[in-house]
Amino acid sequence: MTEEQAPDPPPTPERRRVGVFICQCGGNISDYVDTEKVRETLERDPEVAHAEVQMFACSDAGQGAIVKAIREKKLDGLVVASCSPKLHTLTFRGAARRAGLNPYEYTQANVREQDSWAHTHDREGATTKAVAIARAALAHTARSRPLEPIRTETAPAALVVGAGVAGLRAAVGLSDLGVSVHVVERAEQAGGQLARWDRIFPNDRSGKEIVRGLLEEVAKRENIVLFTGAELVSKEGHLGDFTVHVRTRTGEVIPLKVGAIVVATGYEPYRPAKGELGYGLEGVITLPEYEELLGDGTGPLEYHGRPVQTVTYVYCVGSRDASGGEGSHTYCSRYCCSATSFAAIRTGGRGTPVHQYHLFRDVRTYGKYESLYERALASGSVFLRYRDDAPPKVALEGGRLVVRLSDQLSGGAEVEIPTDLVVLVVGMVPRENAALTGVLKLPIGREGFFNEIHQKLRPVETVVDGVFLAGTAQGPKNVAESVASALSSVSKTAGILLKGYVDLDPLVAKVDASACTWCGACAEACPYGAIEEVVEGEKHIARVVPVSCKGEGACVPVCTAQAIEVEGYTHDQVLAMIDALAAEE
Amino acid sequence: MKVDPTLPDRLARTGGFNASACINCGSCTALCPLGMGPFPRQLFRYVLLGAREEVVRHTEEIYSCLLCKMCEDNCPAGVHIAENVRTLRTFLGREELGLATSEV
Repeated sequence: MTEEQAPDPPPTPERRRVGVFICQCGGNISDYVDTEKVRETLERDPEVAHAEVQMFACSDAGQGAIVKAIREKKLDGLVVASCSPKLHTLTFRGAARRAGLNPYEYTQANVREQDSWAHTHDREGATTKAVAIARAALAHTARSRPLEPIRTETAPAALVVGAGVAGLRAAVGLSDLGVSVHVVERAEQAGGQLARWDRIFPNDRSGKEIVRGLLEEVAKRENIVLFTGAELVSKEGHLGDFTVHVRTRTGEVIPLKVGAIVVATGYEPYRPAKGELGYGLEGVITLPEYEELLGDGTGPLEYHGRPVQTVTYVYCVGSRDASGGEGSHTYCSRYCCSATSFAAIRTGGRGTPVHQYHLFRDVRTYGKYESLYERALASGSVFLRYRDDAPPKVALEGGRLVVRLSDQLSGGAEVEIPTDLVVLVVGMVPRENAALTGVLKLPIGREGFFNEIHQKLRPVETVVDGVFLAGTAQGPKNVAESVASALSSVSKTAGILLKGYVDLDPLVAKVDASACTWCGACAEACPYGAIEEVVEGEKHIARVVPVSCKGEGACVPVCTAQAIEVEGYTHDQVLAMIDALAAEE
Repeated sequence: MKVDPTLPDRLARTGGFNASACINCGSCTALCPLGMGPFPRQLFRYVLLGAREEVVRHTEEIYSCLLCKMCEDNCPAGVHIAENVRTLRTFLGREELGLATSEV
């Protein structure tokens, strides 16, 4: 493109006073980008009133310097050239707000993920690119305007999907905080997987009793309605004001108004394929099946009428699968090492001695559960380590089960174990929930579980505002962890619903009524149903329902009249950003 | 090798052999002033698995031990290593070498 052909950049109304901060990220950026050169270049721009390099812009000191500069130099716009906006948009919006600057006058320029980390071999090129990215952000902020959040009222009720330990505990927790709860359970009976377990670690409580206790608590509360044999069939609306439809046991579809949804759909035990580690042979069972065999009993252990004198456990079945094949379960299921150690302790207390061999890969009885491993060792369990690329082999020989492995703790010696029972310690796998996933529009992670927004800082929130995760629907957990996650979703849910309103991001689409001729293309393109047809005077035009709009922008390119744009990403701003990125030094 | 739970059971019952707390860290082997291959971690493992022929094959190491307790003092799992070696000597003496007379 030559100078003559280039269109003039859209004019800015008046000269702005923008502050530009370039973050070194402690070397993550400055090792590959000449941050001082970026600062010098940006400082020459007439709309930049302040430019500064910082070691860590997100630190207390960094944010303090930003606040100080905004106040002292009366800045009316802010750019921080640092990491991905996914990390720190809210951080720096907060700094702007504290300094008295409207948070939507802030733009984050990503010069780390999109620059320094990608071009570690080319300092000069990376520096040029950082200047362009920062200038684009400057062009964006220079055309920004102050925005206020969209406030909407919330319904004081919640929907909990799934009535296992996480769902039930969440329901009771929400009820206690004054939120009405509808619980929808697909199975005929509430209780989930926990209701199958007679004894669970660490303190030898009965899973069945825990579930019974929770169901009693549910029954006591007038503001909890439990639907079993029911399914969630649709969801409309937005955070604070969802309309969901539930198909009940009788086939009737009923609408419910809720402000938030807690998804507690749980897991399924991994089911070994026939022949996998001998599964299908008489005496080869899974850990949940072995738990049912152990039950609440105290007498000598029997299987199909025969005494059990030797038990061989094979760990990591359906977990930590390194093959990487389609649908392989590469993750650790967390509960199984502790649950098996606990089963071994109880097996050892069954009156007659039982010899127990544990074929493991790594013992992960983490945290307080280490003592279970120690107790299992002390009660005579022998642990043998197999390599992930050489799993044990299970065979039936002369009516007797025999397990063979190469024991890494005996210098790789081939060990043969004649045994009465082989217990396959199966991991947790995600539930088949395609229909529900479609209704909730929730993203699914590589492992097949529902994805949280942030693994550390936002562990129960999803990208769908107002939809939270509880328990193993999000990933493998033991009971204590499931309950902790359920209560975390309770506090997030109640925190929103009890306030009575929510403030939504104002970065939503807006229609230029004078340009709009209502062709309907925008409404068709919108996946959230956020655009409706209205009559204004003589004219039919499109109107955006701000609380339903996610600011995603599908409507923008389909409008032939250029009558719709997204606040914060206006045509003006986007064109100016492209020009800034394409400009030659 | 084929596991045989009767060997560790018998040595535990009659001689007080106990290495079940062993976490296979190998500190004992690294610290042994005699530096004898599988001694003592691997040897105790043979006992736990019931690999009698492997235990017998290492008779020389079992009798060479100085009982200095360098290993035992440093065992993070608190295994009474020297006591276990004595138990193994009695067992070998009686059943393999025809030496000891007391019941093991």
